[in-house]
Amino acid sequence: MFANFIGKSQTRRKFLGSASAFAGLGTLSSALPGRALAQGEPIKIGFLAPLTGPVAGWGKPGLDGIQIWAEWINAAGGINIGGESHMFEFIPYDNEYDPSKARTGATKLIQEDGVKFIMMLGGDTWAGVQPVADRTGMLFSTLLNSDLGPETTTLLAPAESHPVYNVTGVDWLAENHPDLKTAVMCAQEDALGLPSVATYLAAFEAAGIEMLEDPILFDPAATDFAPIVTRMISGNPDIISLDTCYPDYVHPIMEQLFQQGYGGQVISCTLDFYGQIIEKTSVEFLEGLVFQFPDFDDPAMNQDFINFQNPNKFWDVYNERYPGQWGAVSWEYASIMDIWSAAAMEAGSVEPEDVLSTMLATGTGKHAFGDATWWGEDLFGVNHTLLGNWPVVRVEGGKARIKEFRSVPAWYEKHGEILKKHMRAYGQMPDQR
Amino acid sequence: MVELLAQTGLNAIYAAAYMSLVAVGLVLVFGVLGVINFAHGELFMIGAYVVVAVFADFQMPYVLAAAAALVFVGAVGVLMERAMFAPLRENPLGGLVASIGFLLICQALVSVQFGVRMEHVPPVTQEVIVISEKVRLPVHRLTVILASIALLSSLWIFLRKSKFGWALRASSQDREAASLQGISISRISIIAMFIGGALAGIAGALTAPLISVNPHMGHSVIVAAFIVIIVGGVGSLEGAVVASIAYAFVHTVITTFWDGVIADIVGLALMLAVLIVKPTGLFGTADRA
Repeated sequence: MFANFIGKSQTRRKFLGSASAFAGLGTLSSALPGRALAQGEPIKIGFLAPLTGPVAGWGKPGLDGIQIWAEWINAAGGINIGGESHMFEFIPYDNEYDPSKARTGATKLIQEDGVKFIMMLGGDTWAGVQPVADRTGMLFSTLLNSDLGPETTTLLAPAESHPVYNVTGVDWLAENHPDLKTAVMCAQEDALGLPSVATYLAAFEAAGIEMLEDPILFDPAATDFAPIVTRMISGNPDIISLDTCYPDYVHPIMEQLFQQGYGGQVISCTLDFYGQIIEKTSVEFLEGLVFQFPDFDDPAMNQDFINFQNPNKFWDVYNERYPGQWGAVSWEYASIMDIWSAAAMEAGSVEPEDVLSTMLATGTGKHAFGDATWWGEDLFGVNHTLLGNWPVVRVEGGKARIKEFRSVPAWYEKHGEILKKHMRAYGQMPDQR
Repeated sequence: MVELLAQTGLNAIYAAAYMSLVAVGLVLVFGVLGVINFAHGELFMIGAYVVVAVFADFQMPYVLAAAAALVFVGAVGVLMERAMFAPLRENPLGGLVASIGFLLICQALVSVQFGVRMEHVPPVTQEVIVISEKVRLPVHRLTVILASIALLSSLWIFLRKSKFGWALRASSQDREAASLQGISISRISIIAMFIGGALAGIAGALTAPLISVNPHMGHSVIVAAFIVIIVGGVGSLEGAVVASIAYAFVHTVITTFWDGVIADIVGLALMLAVLIVKPTGLFGTADRA
């Protein structure tokens, strides 16, 4: 509707991007400083994510995780760039999941703090930041490869390929529970929810699972989920998909599903702080729920192909410091820094263009869940997503357990056209955003 | 379909119950003080956080936590009146601006004290009244409904039967005339802010185990409350209750059968229609419009 209001040639993202560019570029007259690091000077990395507000659950746990990563790396002497050791310093900026605040934050991190790389959650906030990235050439990372497009030349999705990996959960479910034939889905209507809706629709279609009705989209300001749950369960679906709902929504929705007597299968992208959901429902109610983010004490994380360093120790330290706060993003920014550091050391430089070109040079990379390829040209017009296997996680006896690592590119090879069809239907292709 | 309608009806009654508490408090404050309290949603939020502190963190009985929320947030309301609204009594716009400032301070203080993330409030009870396979009423939701009826009935009796209630109503109708009759506007303002705050606080406390408790949770509540009091008639307690019920039913039915976003749009359109057709609201009077 908003897109209609501002004209057919404009989309909401383009509008936000243009508005942000207009507002921000005037103050950003100088390009990115390309000064080399002085001896012993710390490498400054920006952390531009929501630390307050309803999306903080996908910002703050990542900042907590990255502090552990920095302590470990700095305690080991930092990293070697061109023969000299440098420590890391992370500079957080709370963008409150607001595009204009994200733009201000990016400008501040680049101009005032002199960061060499900025990690973001992405989504709605990328629209505000993109003009700054275009202007400065700063290297950014996102957790959402749905932010990528041919024009996002300095944006990478090295850790999370949201929402494409969600296909693995549906694929696994269809293979292991062929009795599940029908599904309904709900999602918040935003840049995190909609591409995920398109992905789940594609995965269900590819798996031969019928959608009983169109996805139920709700206002991100919603607080009472009883009406939505009432509607979802009214058609007796075999599967309820919670799409990529924020933790603030997943918890009350799960509680409502429990209270309104739903006994079918639930699939969700995330299940952050699931111990709290168990406390509000029951171990039995959560049994069998499928989602996509493992606990790092899972024995499957110790397999040889896992590239994340010391996952069990990382889990232990994290949970000791932040009990009950482990979530989807707790490890992801640390994983991104593993990839960035390796490229910086190989390049002998921390400058964005050097690190970027080194990262992409071979077309492959060491993703946390195994070696992967830089992918995405066919869907997003740019090979800036590090994509390989992704875990399918199932709740068993009150504990998340990895059931299998499934190949996302292999699924796309077979069903890519279906995904493109649904992405287009929801206006999520790069030329539509 | 009958079961779906019945469950939707129960969902709407619950929404109407807590919305009435919030809206009546907001109307009472406006009626007596003549101030639009933008921080009213934050009083709702503080009530929820009292439950987090007393019930979830200190593991004291939930009833005690709810009672503490009622008293504590009522006291916060009194503090607001003394520190902000009383010095700005002749400047309603100043009161409004001050309440926006207070709103931000509340969010910041709660963020500093509790953190910015969603707080976990354990369930008070997991009991569910099973009317049929698809019509269920969780006992805690029933508690919210009954508590709202009890509190609003008590308030109605207080306003109709007590000396303070008469004074409140008189001040709400005409502050100058009430003052000439020997009613202390200062004291009445304190009572109104205590009741208004307490109602918002208890609404937050009652719903805390059912919703996501976070420092920004007051926002959506205050938007709905403003729609309700404009539709009901600014200054009308009866109007606030009736409009809460109407808004809750319209919003819940549309969310269930069509779309939550459309429900929000319809709510705003309803407010717009009332403003055009009857600017004083359904139960409002011209002198308060």
